Amino acid sequence: MSNKTSHESDVSFIQALAELLRENDLTELQVKRDYGENDSLNVRVSRQTQTIVQASVPAPAPAAPAAPAAPAAPAPTSNDADPASHPGAVTSPMVGTVYMAAEPGAPAFVSTGSTVKEGDTILIIEAMKTMNHIPAPRAGTIKRILVEDGGPVEFGAPLVIIE
Amino acid sequence: MFDKILIANRGEIALRVVRACRELGVKSVAVHSTADSDAMHVRMADEAICIGPPSSAQSYLSFPAIISACEITGAQAIHPGYGFLSENAAFVQAVEDHDLTFIGPTAEHIRIMGDKITAKDTMKALGVPCVPGSDGGVPTLADAKRVGEEIGYPVIIKATAGGGGRGMKVAQTAADMEKAFHSARAEGKAAFGNDEVYIEKYLTTPRHIEIQVFGDGKGNAVHLGERDCSLQRRHQKVFEEAPGPCITPELRARIGKVCADAVAKINYIGAGTIEFLFENDEFYFIEMNTRLQVEHPVTESIFGVDLVREQLRVAAGLPMSFTQDDLTINGHSIEVRINAEKLPNFAPCPGTITQYHAPGGLGVRMDSALYDGYRIPPYYDSLIGKLIVHGRDRSEALARLERALGELIVDGVDTTLPLFHALLQEEAIQTGDYNIHWLEQWLEKISFEAKPSMT
Repeated sequence: MSNKTSHESDVSFIQALAELLRENDLTELQVKRDYGENDSLNVRVSRQTQTIVQASVPAPAPAAPAAPAAPAAPAPTSNDADPASHPGAVTSPMVGTVYMAAEPGAPAFVSTGSTVKEGDTILIIEAMKTMNHIPAPRAGTIKRILVEDGGPVEFGAPLVIIE
Repeated sequence: MFDKILIANRGEIALRVVRACRELGVKSVAVHSTADSDAMHVRMADEAICIGPPSSAQSYLSFPAIISACEITGAQAIHPGYGFLSENAAFVQAVEDHDLTFIGPTAEHIRIMGDKITAKDTMKALGVPCVPGSDGGVPTLADAKRVGEEIGYPVIIKATAGGGGRGMKVAQTAADMEKAFHSARAEGKAAFGNDEVYIEKYLTTPRHIEIQVFGDGKGNAVHLGERDCSLQRRHQKVFEEAPGPCITPELRARIGKVCADAVAKINYIGAGTIEFLFENDEFYFIEMNTRLQVEHPVTESIFGVDLVREQLRVAAGLPMSFTQDDLTINGHSIEVRINAEKLPNFAPCPGTITQYHAPGGLGVRMDSALYDGYRIPPYYDSLIGKLIVHGRDRSEALARLERALGELIVDGVDTTLPLFHALLQEEAIQTGDYNIHWLEQWLEKISFEAKPSMT
């Protein structure tokens, strides 16, 4: 996995943690992920007035995750905890396996921060050996990616957030 | 045995399969639509996957949704329950094409039994008794009279092209034949542009008797006696019992052997039910259901076996855990189907269950996916529970049923419970003297309004 993708996957991992924190009304969450020898990610996300992120070895930019965790984010106040109810959420139209790229090794269709036009493929969901291209329902910027390459997805689960 | 299976169903039957899995140490995956996120089968299974929106076509009936749910969870086999995809040959094919196991019969057997004419021809060839008839068109009155003498009156003359009750005339005796024959032909001509008719024996007050069979797919099969499901409303069974009140051990042994031999001969695998009309000690084949039936618990009660466990065994390639000689009937069992329906019209009644209390005690089994606060979604069928009782004999079972019905509380929605309270007061039910027309005729006479609400 290239450094760039691992960074992006770390970022979405931290974002997911931040969501978890809000969803379950926790104040602090600490996780250590071991990727290999001398390669690990150590995250502590806490909520109150600030968000602290500590990242060890592959930690090029710990700044990004602050935004989604901040309670001040201009998200809807009612049920902002669930990414599926985020107004920019694109939810899965089917149950299946997610692929972020057209084929193994190919560049991902989108990454956090990339802009898409309406109808652009954002990812693929495989169901019963059929590759279903999931189009962007509108133009915008990919704010978050909530699924992992090769991971399972249920019907209705949020895939990405486009704003 | 499998490590993990997926249950492509919902409600009480999904729960039923989860229970069998748990006892076998097999992990279970529940699938559900968005309308069933809070359903009991979702809570009870080891894993749950949301497969689609409320519409069954896009969830419980969707091949891709169910097969990908299998793939992402690593389930090796699919139990279809009853209804939904349980008798869909194309689905079975798709499951096998994806190297998964369908817990049920082969696509070929489902296809054969799904087609009325092929099913009847197949069963006839296997020695299963069918309604005697002319086996094709009857061109002249003389032919019609000859057929009438052969099969015995009363007979029914049906337009070959007919349907929906049109072009059908009953001849009670030979004297009626001329008029019935000509008017059936005339109606056929007028309604369908075809005056060809055929003749079948007419059963006036038959009972619905079905034989439970079970095969291992390797040429071995057994029967598990009969169930009497004559109490039906609009072809929907509401009350089932085993053994049948009018089936003697000799009749059971005879028809049971015919059925077991028939399915053994075709290497049938899994649970199946061969349905008959029964009149004057004769059985007439109607159809075969190639799945587990809703009313399977009455058979389980009297034989003391778990049919779902057995389905999993044979699907995994294991032998059946019993032989015909191991199967002996113990006592009597009755099942009533509790539907969320408002009497007297049986209008579906979705809503929130404010209180649910299941009956208990000796010989009582409640198969239901209800719980306090459960919201019955409006998208699926109205069956909310099955109350099954078991007693040493029929009268003990009836008394136990009445006692258990008195304990059962389902508040918040209307249910068919008052129907069963009233039914148990009827002499015909107490004596077992009823047929397939009895319930509908009784429903026309009785008024539920006059009775105090039982819930």
